[in-house]
Amino acid sequence: MAMRKTPANGSASTTSTDRRTSAGSTGPVEQRPGVRDAWVIGGNRIPFARAGGKYSRSSNQEMFTAALEGLVARFGLQGERLGEVVGGAVLKHSRDFNLVRESVLGSSLSPQTPAYDLQQACATGLEATITVANKIRLGQVESGVAGGTDTVSDAPIAVSEGLRRALLEASHAKTIGARVKAFAKVRPADLAPLTPATDEPRTGLSMGEHQAITTARWGISREAQDEVALASHQHLAAAWESGFFDDLVTPHRGLVRDQNLRTDSSMEKLAALKPVYGKRLAGSGSEDSPAAPTMTAGNSTPLTDGASTVLLGSREWAEQRDLPLLARVVDAETAAVDFVHGHEGLLMAPVHAVPRLLARNGLKLGDFDLYEIHEAFASTVLTTLTAWEDDEYCRTELGLDGPLGSIDRSRLNVNGSSLAAGHPFAATGGRIVATAAKLLAGRTAETGQPARALISVCAAGGLGVAAILESVPAADLPA
Amino acid sequence: MTAATSAPARVETLPTIPGLGGLFARGVAGSARMAAAARLPGGGPRDLTLPEVTYRVAGVPTGNGAEPGGPGSEEHLARYADVVGEVPGGTLPAGYLHVLGFPLATAVMVRGDFPLPLVGMVHLANSASLVRPVRLGDALEVRAWAQDLRPHRRGVQVDLVVEVSVERTDDERAAGSGLPATTLAYRGVSTYLAKGVRLPDGSAPDGPGANGSANGSTNGTDAFVPPLPTARWTLGAGTGRTYAAVSGDRNPIHTSALGAKAFGFPRAIAHGMYTAARALAEAGPARGETYDWTVTFAKPVLLPSTVDVAIRPEGAVAAEVRDVVGQVPAAVADGAGDPATGLAYQGWDRTGRLHLSGRVTPRR
Repeated sequence: MAMRKTPANGSASTTSTDRRTSAGSTGPVEQRPGVRDAWVIGGNRIPFARAGGKYSRSSNQEMFTAALEGLVARFGLQGERLGEVVGGAVLKHSRDFNLVRESVLGSSLSPQTPAYDLQQACATGLEATITVANKIRLGQVESGVAGGTDTVSDAPIAVSEGLRRALLEASHAKTIGARVKAFAKVRPADLAPLTPATDEPRTGLSMGEHQAITTARWGISREAQDEVALASHQHLAAAWESGFFDDLVTPHRGLVRDQNLRTDSSMEKLAALKPVYGKRLAGSGSEDSPAAPTMTAGNSTPLTDGASTVLLGSREWAEQRDLPLLARVVDAETAAVDFVHGHEGLLMAPVHAVPRLLARNGLKLGDFDLYEIHEAFASTVLTTLTAWEDDEYCRTELGLDGPLGSIDRSRLNVNGSSLAAGHPFAATGGRIVATAAKLLAGRTAETGQPARALISVCAAGGLGVAAILESVPAADLPA
Repeated sequence: MTAATSAPARVETLPTIPGLGGLFARGVAGSARMAAAARLPGGGPRDLTLPEVTYRVAGVPTGNGAEPGGPGSEEHLARYADVVGEVPGGTLPAGYLHVLGFPLATAVMVRGDFPLPLVGMVHLANSASLVRPVRLGDALEVRAWAQDLRPHRRGVQVDLVVEVSVERTDDERAAGSGLPATTLAYRGVSTYLAKGVRLPDGSAPDGPGANGSANGSTNGTDAFVPPLPTARWTLGAGTGRTYAAVSGDRNPIHTSALGAKAFGFPRAIAHGMYTAARALAEAGPARGETYDWTVTFAKPVLLPSTVDVAIRPEGAVAAEVRDVVGQVPAAVADGAGDPATGLAYQGWDRTGRLHLSGRVTPRR
C-alpha cells in the first residue's frame, strides 16, 4: 500500500502534476473519477406468509437463502463473486449475528462473496439498497445484492431479566455454593419467557398506538383508510393475475402467492371490522373533536413472514452479462423525527425526508410517474399525503414556503403494497424497490420516455427513508 | 405550598439518617394514640402547631463512602435508576435525593409533638429544585423540617421540606478555595394532607390556599380532557414492591393488596413519587443539569395498571389541559427556569381520569 502523506503546503495547492510526480511512495493516492450510476437489475422474493402460516417453521436464514437462491437462479449468478450482499432482519436471534453471510454461504454464489448485516427497522431493505447502490456509484463494487428477511413466527424468545441475571451470575461463579446462591435468586415469575414486543422502548406504545395518535391528530377518517386498504388488495390481486410477479417471486414451502392477499375484500367487509388501535384515545384530544378509533386489522398491516432481495450493478457489469437495466438509483434521503415527546408522529419521518430529497434533486412532488409509499398502516399513507398538502405544517415543520403539494392518487402503489402483501419488516424495502424498478422499466419500454418513482418507507424509532428510482430509454444512455 | 422556606432556627443534629423501619413503627403507634385521643370527650379540634425544629445530618456519604449497596452507594443508585428509568451515571437525580432525604422528613413527622397522624396521610403534591448537580462521592448535609400548616377542603395540609447541601471537601478547605462549608444543591417540598383534621381557629377551609396548587381533590380534575398521549406505562402488580425496595418506603398501601384494603383501596397503589420520578426520567436530557420538578397527585394509580402519559414541551400543551392541571411553584424560586422552556406531563387512567400532572423545567 502506498504511504499517504499530506503535502506541507496543503492539498489545495497541489496540482495534478504534483500528484503524478509524487505518486509512488510519498504523494497522496489520486482520486478516482466521480460517481457513476448504480442500476437495479432485478429482484426476487418469496411470497409473504401470515404469521403462524406456511413459514411457521422457517428461520430468517432459510427464508433469506431461499430468496437469494431464487435471485441467483433467475440471473445465472451461480459461482459468481458479487461485490457484496447486504441485508438484515428486525427480529433476529443473537445466533444470527452473521445472518446474511451465512445465507451467502448457503447459496450457490461464490463463497468469496462478502456480506454484512444491516438493520434499520422497517427501512432495512431500502437502506440496504441505498448502501449497495452507493458503493457501486463510488466504484468500490461492481455488483451487489440488497435485501431483508423477517419472521414473527420464528421470533427469538428471551428469558426474563431476573433469570438472565441469575444465569450470567451463575456462569461467572467460581464455586458451587456461589452458583447455587445465584440460582436461588430466581423467582417463579422469572421463568416466564419474554416474547419480542414491537413497542417503542422509550414510550411503551406499540407502533399501532403511535399511528393511532398521528391518525387522530390529522383527523384521518375510517372510510379513507378502508379505501386505501381495498385499493391495495385490488391492485396486488390484479398484479398477480397479470403475471407481474412471475419473475419477481419464487414459491417457497408450498406458498405461491402472498398469503395475506384477499381478492374478495370489499368496503363492506372492511367496514365491519372492529378498531384494534387507538381505543384508549376515545374522548381524548379535545372536547370538540374527540378521537374515535379508526384503525382495524383490515387497514393495518398484519404480522408477516418473508424475505426479499434486489440485484444491483454498474452498467458495465450488467451489460457484460446481458442483464437488464431496470432503473437507476438516483438519490436517497434518510430522516428521523422527534416523536418521544409527541413533537412529531412516530411514522412521519418520510414526510421530512422527501422534501429534502426533492430539493437536492431539483424536483417537485408532482414530477413522478409512480409513488410507492409503504403501507405500514393505511393511515400512514394518508397522514403523509395530508401533511404534504397542509400549508401551515409545511411552513412550520418542514421549513417550506408552502405546501409540498399533492400527488395523482392513480400513480400511488399501483401494484398494491404492504396492506395486501403483508409486511415482514426488513423484507418490505426489497419488495418495493424491485416492484418499482420493474414498473418503471415497463413504462419506459412502452413510451420510450424516462420514468421516475418516489419511494418512501417509515420505520420504528421515528426513522424514515425516501429514494428516487428512474428508468432511462436505452437510446438515451451515453454510448 | 409556598416557595419561601423558613427552617426553624432550633437545629437538632442526628448522627446518621435514621432507618425507615423503626420510624414507621413509631409513626403507627403515634397515629393510634392520636386516633384514640380524638375519640375522647373534648377530643375535637386541638391546638395544632408544628414542631419548631430542623433535623440535620452532616457528612452523609455517597459513592465509595456509603455503605455498600445502601442508600448513596453506586449500586443503590444504579438500582434506583433501573426502577424509574433514569440513565445510570455519576450524578444523583432529584428523585433520588428525595429518596435519600425521605427518612429524615419522616423522622420529623413521627416526633411526639408532630400534630398529625403519619398513618393515612395523603401525598398531595411535590416540588423539588435541583440547583446544582450532586455527584457520587459528594458528602452531603441533609436538613428536614415541617412548615406551613394550613387548612384544606378535606382536612389539614402541611409541607415537609428537605434540603440537601454539598459539603466542601477537605482538599477544597485546605486549598483555601473560599467555598462555603456547604452549598445548597436540592430542596424538596412535599405537601401532605391529614384528612378530617380541623384547625382550631376554624379558618375557612375553602379560603385562599385551601387547595393550594395541590388540587389532589376532585376539584378541577373532573374537567380534565386527556390530550393525545406520548407514552404508555404498563405497571405490573409488583410496581409498589419494586419501588419500595429502592426507596425504603414500605408503606403497606403500596406493597400489598391487604395493606391497601385496610386503607380503603381495592388494590395496592403505586407510590406517587415513583410515577413522578418516571416522568422526570422520561423528560430526558432536555431537563438539563439543574431543574425544577413538580407534581400534583390526583387519583391514585391502582396496581396493576396501564397509565397513558403525555410529556410535551410546555408550548405544545393545549390551553385547556394547562388550565386544569395548574402550576406548582418551584421549591427554590431564585433561578427558577422559565416554564415555557420546560416539559409538562400528565398521566391518566383508561377512563380519562387524571392520576398526576407536573412539570420538569431546566433552571437558569
